[in-house]
Amino acid sequence: MILSFHGKKALVLGGSCDLALTLAVAMMETGIFPLLTFRSEEGREKIAARLSPLGGSYGACYLDFGDRDSLASLLAQGGGDIDYVVDFAQGDFEGYVAAADEARVYQYFNDNVSFRAELLKKVARIMLKRKKGRFVFISSVAAGRTNPGQGFYAAAKLASEALYRNLGLELGRKGITAVTLRPGYIRAGRGKAYLDAHGEDALRLVPTGRFLTGNEVAEVILFLLSESAAGFNATELTMDSGQTAYK
Amino acid sequence: MDILEEITKIIAEILDIEGREITPETYLIRELGAESIDLLELSVAINARFQIEVNDDELFLRTMRFHLRTAAAEGKDAVGYLAGKYPALTVARVAEILADMGGGPVLRVKDIISYIARHGQK
Repeated sequence: MILSFHGKKALVLGGSCDLALTLAVAMMETGIFPLLTFRSEEGREKIAARLSPLGGSYGACYLDFGDRDSLASLLAQGGGDIDYVVDFAQGDFEGYVAAADEARVYQYFNDNVSFRAELLKKVARIMLKRKKGRFVFISSVAAGRTNPGQGFYAAAKLASEALYRNLGLELGRKGITAVTLRPGYIRAGRGKAYLDAHGEDALRLVPTGRFLTGNEVAEVILFLLSESAAGFNATELTMDSGQTAYK
Repeated sequence: MDILEEITKIIAEILDIEGREITPETYLIRELGAESIDLLELSVAINARFQIEVNDDELFLRTMRFHLRTAAAEGKDAVGYLAGKYPALTVARVAEILADMGGGPVLRVKDIISYIARHGQK
């Protein structure tokens, strides 16, 4: 396997979530410089608290999905030589389709889909200059199988998956590829609160009888960034321990 | 190195046609067979080489038929309307394009040069 990452730079979107931080640690251990984005002071502090004590090299930069100025600033500061993008960013929005506030719906899709399209365009054009780049979008099994109240979350994830799929389809010939990972239940981030409340019920749906760990998912993401995984392009991979195979 | 020389070099490299004659009158799509992905790469290369922000639709005259329909619907003169939408093109060039549209994609190397010249070579 070709798992050589030394000297590479990764833009990690939504960089203050638990999974992104676990991935950042693994990246630093393998020689990747992670540039993590945060959208609040709390996020910035969370990144610093987890990564600073390790003594390795990393960067942190403000980016708020929906704020185009923050994107311009991010790319001006650290966008010159991006090798990888790993995208964890996703706003929360729970609500029934028949009950959601319309203004919030418009804003949600603007922030989570339209803004993402602008970001992908700009980063892809940076990568095109060097004819090399890899995108990994972290989606969710909820994109394909939702619970009541997750319609907007799933719709934004599916739309984003489509953007990444086409990026890989359109630019693959130019050395730029993209893949989506759909993890199942992970006891981390926004999944932790749900599993703390509904863990036993959720566990019955997982054939392996256990939830994924953050380290397992981070290792798979690293593999997906590697040269060996370049054949996974313009597609979605499900990592749910068999959960969605149930009738 | 002037813009023509530079842009010729870039186009030849992207389309892998080194040695082929390219002049200001050469059609990018009709003659050289440039595809969408090639034009995207050309746009990125122009941005990098000339340090100018590139609007792909304007640079590659992409929305010309849409603008023509709008001009017709609003009862406006097509040449004047298009010249306003594509400020890098002269009125004479717009008229030439309108007369040439039946033959296929109208984009020529000189249109790319005009765009770069207008947006400032650095």
